[in-house]
Amino acid sequence: MGVNSDAAAVYGHKLSTVVPGSVSGETVVHELADMDLVMKLHYVRTVYYFQQSETVDGLTIVDLKKPMFRWLTSYYPVTGRIRRTEAGRPLVKCNDCGVRIVEANCCRTLEEWLQVPHSARWRPLVPDKVLGPDLRFSPMVYVQFTKFQCGGMAIGYSWSHVLGDPVAGTNCINLWGQLLAGNPPPKSLLPHSARTPTARPARQPPVSATPLSVKQVEPAGDLWLIADACKMATDSITITESRLKHLQSEKLNSVPAFEMISALFWHCLASVRRGGREPRVVTICRHKPRAKKCAELSNEQMISTVSTSHASPADLDLAELALLVSKQKVDETTLVEESIDGDGGKPDFVVYGANLTFVDMEGVDLSGLDIKGEKPVQVDSVIDGVGDEGAVLVFPQGADAGGGSKGPAAVLILPEDQILKLREVLKREFDMA
Amino acid sequence: MPAVPLPEFPRWAKFGYRFIVNNFVTLFLVGSMTAVGWELLQLGPDEIMALWRSLQEQPVSSLSAVFLVAFVAALYFMSRPRPVYLVDYACFKPPSTCRVPFATFMEHTRLINSDEKSVQFQTRILERSGLGEETCLPPANHYIPPNPTMEASRAEAQLVIFSAIDDLMKKTGLGPKDIDILVVNCSLFSPTPSLSAMIINKYKLRSNVRSFNLSGMGCSAGLISIDLARDLLQVHPRANALVVSTEIITPNFYAGNQRSMLLPNCLFRMGAAAILLSNRRREAGRAKYRLAHVVRTHKGADDRAYRCIYEEEDAEGHSGISLSKDLMAIAGEALKSNITTMGPLVLPVSEQLLFALNLVGRKLINPEWKPYIPDFEQAFDHFCIHAGGRAVIDQLQKSLQLSAEHVEASRMTLHRFGNTSSSSLWYELNYIESKGRMRRGDWVWQIGFGSGFKCNSAVWKCLRTIKAPVDGPWTECIDRYPVDIPEIVNL
Repeated sequence: MGVNSDAAAVYGHKLSTVVPGSVSGETVVHELADMDLVMKLHYVRTVYYFQQSETVDGLTIVDLKKPMFRWLTSYYPVTGRIRRTEAGRPLVKCNDCGVRIVEANCCRTLEEWLQVPHSARWRPLVPDKVLGPDLRFSPMVYVQFTKFQCGGMAIGYSWSHVLGDPVAGTNCINLWGQLLAGNPPPKSLLPHSARTPTARPARQPPVSATPLSVKQVEPAGDLWLIADACKMATDSITITESRLKHLQSEKLNSVPAFEMISALFWHCLASVRRGGREPRVVTICRHKPRAKKCAELSNEQMISTVSTSHASPADLDLAELALLVSKQKVDETTLVEESIDGDGGKPDFVVYGANLTFVDMEGVDLSGLDIKGEKPVQVDSVIDGVGDEGAVLVFPQGADAGGGSKGPAAVLILPEDQILKLREVLKREFDMA
Repeated sequence: MPAVPLPEFPRWAKFGYRFIVNNFVTLFLVGSMTAVGWELLQLGPDEIMALWRSLQEQPVSSLSAVFLVAFVAALYFMSRPRPVYLVDYACFKPPSTCRVPFATFMEHTRLINSDEKSVQFQTRILERSGLGEETCLPPANHYIPPNPTMEASRAEAQLVIFSAIDDLMKKTGLGPKDIDILVVNCSLFSPTPSLSAMIINKYKLRSNVRSFNLSGMGCSAGLISIDLARDLLQVHPRANALVVSTEIITPNFYAGNQRSMLLPNCLFRMGAAAILLSNRRREAGRAKYRLAHVVRTHKGADDRAYRCIYEEEDAEGHSGISLSKDLMAIAGEALKSNITTMGPLVLPVSEQLLFALNLVGRKLINPEWKPYIPDFEQAFDHFCIHAGGRAVIDQLQKSLQLSAEHVEASRMTLHRFGNTSSSSLWYELNYIESKGRMRRGDWVWQIGFGSGFKCNSAVWKCLRTIKAPVDGPWTECIDRYPVDIPEIVNL
């Protein structure tokens, strides 16, 4: 079945909007920090799949929407819209405009749908909108409810990275799930004190060092979308615990799982791209640890690069790469933040995919969303707007509960042919399906 | 032509004039009785006895005199209309799940409407509308585009009407079997069976309930229902009448681009009110108000007035309600007619005399005299002006020379609830009560305007001081009001 027919299987889209239950206030703004603006061309798309059950069957759209009003009263900045200061710097005007809700149906059963290849599976179930071309009227968050033929349901959640990192994004939707279950909202939550405008010194981009981890792109203007991005496909590979232990054996015990997996994929992709644009520099992205129910909306990434002077990284063996990744990261977070001009919020950057990027998704609580106690049977989570070099998201706990094989899962966002070749390399060299 | 104003009189003169003219009959009677009493006192007791005996000697004429007085008194009491009491009323409080902030409304408009000009027009209307960020639209209108099915319309009707009636029953202890008369008005949604049948079905009212369903009568239909209920209560003794006023928004979204038809989309919001009227004597003790007058004015005989609010299809076939540019002028004329009838019923004699003298003066002596506008603040303590829009309230404030405080209830209702059509008068009354301003003996004037063109007034007298806090749609937000409504809101 082609991609087109998969997309066509989802039909009957109905759009509506949900707003905060209480007025947020007049002229309330949510300032966007420098790191927020660095990430603005990226979007986090997540799809949660729920099996048919009495609970899921019994939920109407009204039931699903009802807790949203209380949810959005707590998270009111996500319902705002982008505006610009006089100097041109984007900020969020908290005008309660709302979150867009999409209702759809799918003519297949959930079981049939989960057989569809990863790349084609999640796209029809979550709105793939970006901010712009009319920034003033572009929602930053979308939620799509798709009902399957069998009664199962998929919840698609689109989150604009400019609001916060994936940790913040998942914490946000998880609160909705808790309110749906009837739990009272935690007292220590927001009202999120909207950041007030602070005087920002005008900065010149540092002449001395430009960060390697990000790539400056053509000004995106009012359409926050990576121009001319080659079509990225996605895939998910689970690395079982036993396989991981095997890789970590022999003098690599000190290398943690994330670094190990990053090195693994770096090695494989280097051999896939041998002779072409081989990845000599990779970007490592981690999120600062936060309390599980923290409601802070911010981008708390630590961005670092790892480079090798070797001409062809494909020639380096896995152990060497692993040690490089774990020991020789160069932290560029501050450098990246300083690249943003204070007043104008320019220039525009791509972070994921500027180089081959490995993102540590530790702290992203995908299992935290449940429907009145029912957990999802599967979760697909990807990042949209990734640059040409591609990205790998490493989830510590593969939510792909594929029949007992547990372990970290790597979600690949790469051009389609590279994914196929990568799989071949994994099979050949590491005996991984 | 500059109008010649009346000279300014000192306060004591004004007060003295009003006191003497308004209490003229009382003063006359008191004066006569004092004079007669004085005369009697001058006479000695013997002469009083002589007077008494002379009366006794003419039994026929004395008795005739007594019977005449008794007969006239009886005729007077019997011809007085049965008092109609407003026991209590309840307004629908829209849930926060129906809230529509400005930004959301504008965003939806841009997504639904392809025409840039009409989007800008609606933005301008909304900026100047006087509405706040908490007004509510029914769930169907939250869809892009709105999803107006019959089922959704019925669902809205059930939500708003049953909510209001449930509240009313809780407040008054009214049972379904106690309802003798049911009048429902909803202008734009008229399903079969009617909304009154829907209420009878839900609450299991008696099979001999007298039910009426008024549709198509516009925003002033609330007072038409009150008038109908009052007339029925004259005919049926010891009866309770339930009046339900509402407007159902779901089926009436205008999907086209004609400017004259875009206003209702911007201003109309969800609302409903349920009112319990009774003519039972025992309700007098706990009733809030007594209905004193209802004055109805219909300008439909004039073609301009008839067409000024007109439901029709635009060039593209979209159905909507077209408002003509003459609307404010016609409203002004209708109001003048209504006041002309209302004035003599409610204004103190002092004001009527001044008005009459001014009128005569203008006709005979000098046409350039400024027309005297009776001071309605003399007659009424509270005003409930239909919150049809900011322009309507501004116009009426100017025409009737009302203070800002007197139109506060209307402005704040428009801000918090939008234009809820026929039920807006009840939200305004509830505002006044919630502010603790309603005292026993206060007079209230409700003015409604609507298609036709009609101007209807009702005058109520408050029978007991109403203590705040009052349970109702204002409970949670009354402390935030009054708010300062800017001339133009920054969207």
